[in-house]
Amino acid sequence: MNKIIDTVFASSTKIIAMSILFIVAWIFTVLLNQSMDSIQALGFDFLTGTKWAPNLEKFGALPAIYGSVVSTFIAMVLAVPIAIGVAIFLSELAPQKVKAPVGVSIELLAAIPSVIYGMWGLFYFVPIVRDVFGGIGISMLTAGIVLSIMILPFMAAVTRDAMNTTPDILKESAYALGGTKWDVIKDIIIPYAKAGIIGSFILALGRAIGETMAVTFVMGNVHKISLDLTAPATSIPVTLANEFTEADTDLYYSSLFELSMLLLVISFTIISIAKFYFLRRKRRS
Amino acid sequence: MATIVNVTEEKALQVKDFEFTYAGADEPSIKKLTMPIAKNSITALIGPSGCGKTTLLRSFNRMHDLYPGNNYKGEILFKDKNILDAKEDLIDLRINIGMIFQKPTAFPMSVYNNVAYGMRLKGIKNKTELDDRVEKALKNAAIWNEVKDRLKHDADGLSGGQQQRLCIARAIAVEPEVLLFDEPTSALDPISTSGIEELIVELKKSVSIIIVTHNMQQAARVSDYTGFMYLGELIELGRTEELFVTPKEKLTEEYITGKFG
Amino acid sequence: MTHTQKRIIANNIVMVLSTTSALIGMGFLFWILSVLIINGVDALSFSIFTNEGAPPGYENSGLKHALIGQFMIVGVATIVGVPFGILAGTYLSEYGQKSKLAETIRDVSDIMMSAPSIVIGAFVYSIVVAPMGHFSGWAGSVALTIIMLPIILRTTDDMLQLVPSTLREAAFALGAPKYKVIMQVVYRGAKVGVLTGILLGIARVAGETAPLLFTSFNDNFLNTDMGEPMASLTVTMYNYATSPYEDWQKLGWAAAFILSMFILSLNIIGRLLIMKRKEK
Repeated sequence: MNKIIDTVFASSTKIIAMSILFIVAWIFTVLLNQSMDSIQALGFDFLTGTKWAPNLEKFGALPAIYGSVVSTFIAMVLAVPIAIGVAIFLSELAPQKVKAPVGVSIELLAAIPSVIYGMWGLFYFVPIVRDVFGGIGISMLTAGIVLSIMILPFMAAVTRDAMNTTPDILKESAYALGGTKWDVIKDIIIPYAKAGIIGSFILALGRAIGETMAVTFVMGNVHKISLDLTAPATSIPVTLANEFTEADTDLYYSSLFELSMLLLVISFTIISIAKFYFLRRKRRS
Repeated sequence: MATIVNVTEEKALQVKDFEFTYAGADEPSIKKLTMPIAKNSITALIGPSGCGKTTLLRSFNRMHDLYPGNNYKGEILFKDKNILDAKEDLIDLRINIGMIFQKPTAFPMSVYNNVAYGMRLKGIKNKTELDDRVEKALKNAAIWNEVKDRLKHDADGLSGGQQQRLCIARAIAVEPEVLLFDEPTSALDPISTSGIEELIVELKKSVSIIIVTHNMQQAARVSDYTGFMYLGELIELGRTEELFVTPKEKLTEEYITGKFG
Repeated sequence: MTHTQKRIIANNIVMVLSTTSALIGMGFLFWILSVLIINGVDALSFSIFTNEGAPPGYENSGLKHALIGQFMIVGVATIVGVPFGILAGTYLSEYGQKSKLAETIRDVSDIMMSAPSIVIGAFVYSIVVAPMGHFSGWAGSVALTIIMLPIILRTTDDMLQLVPSTLREAAFALGAPKYKVIMQVVYRGAKVGVLTGILLGIARVAGETAPLLFTSFNDNFLNTDMGEPMASLTVTMYNYATSPYEDWQKLGWAAAFILSMFILSLNIIGRLLIMKRKEK
């Protein structure tokens, strides 16, 4: 009797565990199937087309791709140096009394849903961008900045964790040679934790590029490639969030599914690079 | 009161009424300790774990300052100056008093850069001078022949014993006056251990050495003076051959005959 | 200037820069937090919990519909996602261990945990909403379950692995069958950790908006039929905040505040549980 239960228990856990692989495969299949119309009708033009006009059955995804890339780039440029600064502060600089509360609040802020960052951006940051940089405030720049603030806590926390993996004894040996804090950080901690730090940046990048709610509020969903960062723009997730419930033709739907698939493939690739190339060693040990 | 043998050599360091208290602790970990350290000789510190020997060692290069709240009292004289002075330049102090740790601490960089690291911190940039001194340090650390063909390789690839000799090379490259060894062979196999021991004996020609060890045979093999510490106090400091054969203190005798510890 | 002096100056510059960036980062984050608290507390009132949505301008509008909808959508996702996640995690830690299959499942789950949630919404739209012909609470729950599953699976896996193998061996030595060892020894040993994982998993999906936009959609009134479109706090927040009506925006802030407090409390409870376990 025990033996039967044992076998049943073992195989049911296995089937359930394997279902995650099945779900992922299913997601890809469904998205691919749903994209077929658009892939067949538009082909490569979908990726290179700059005109997105559903009423004319024209679907060029380039403005959305451009928006995703540029807004994420702005977010990374702003967030990376600040995240490094915060991580250095938290791992090497702050007195014990400051370290714990600041560290915990950074981690808690990473748990706040992105929709709230978006809402804050709309009500409090859009007016500032409008006053300082001109335009209507709803813009690529605003989206990039709000995105950078949203990924900052995650990035800083993970970078700090990576830095903290440096053994104390290694740091002490550098101090024992007469190193300053900065010498130890740049020559020992950063080289030692390099893979972890880069991995966490790329992971943050992967999250930023798929982020919807933090940017939907402040980007405007305008399908136009503009070099003016203060002009409204769109990104792949912003397009999806705004248009999915409005799509009225098969080709329109199919194009949105193709966008979804594109986004999934991009994020899967970026996250895989972060996880398997840079962060692998960490999990093994 | 501790029994302290008369050190006839010139003194490298002079500890006077030294007290050390860890942050948040009520009791000092080292109590009113006085001890001379002879120049160009090897002084071993032995004692049961928790006796304060590593704590004392880490006071000589003010390693405790890396963590806030630790408290020093008394004097440690080095070149007629009290290094416990608040004004003491720690960077300078640590260049003059080097340290080797329990585990090899090869930095995440090439073999060459590991050895050059301390010299670069001192501001030596000249390529030929660096090359010469790296080679000399590696030779003095008896590892030159093993690494001369892979100076540009990552130091991670070396064995534990090689890494520890690399760390010694790195420490002597800046030409310190004192070297502190904190159980330098505790992570090594017996063959690497005897290599390191020979090296330490060789090094005393140019530097004064203090070594903390949990291994009494090691102390007997390498050192000129041995200090036995117990519960934060120095019980006895004697010439090594005398201390192990005819200890003056009862506690020392009990410890070296294995009655406790 | 000597080299050492230069190094000390460089050191001081970096220390100032790093402290400044920490201040900037923390400044922004506390700005957001204080905005949330000030607007949230201002908009909070008892009637919010007892009234449903109303057209703009009506005085007695509230969030009851969104709170109940949120509770139902997340509740169903939890009821399904937690046991499945725990069983799948059990497979990884107790049966699959270091096998190729188990490692693949771990890798795929890791990626899924960071995958864009809006894509999950699109997927569920296609497999649930389109065949049914309309948005529904069920569809929202399906989307959240898919997001929750890998989180529970990975934390369970990690937490079960922390249980010392000697404990398992001791139980096996008494002749217990494997499923009993797992249920009575391993689960018991990992209880706190798994519970923490569940709390964090719930906190994570409770804040999801994007996958609900085109699955559970929205409803401005109270609906407890999971087969119909359903309000959630997050989508309500989005709709109200982007509306031009001030009273709706205010309700949006109230929703944001309630949701954040809920998510932060779950996170804090999870932390306290872990800390307590460590003290033991």
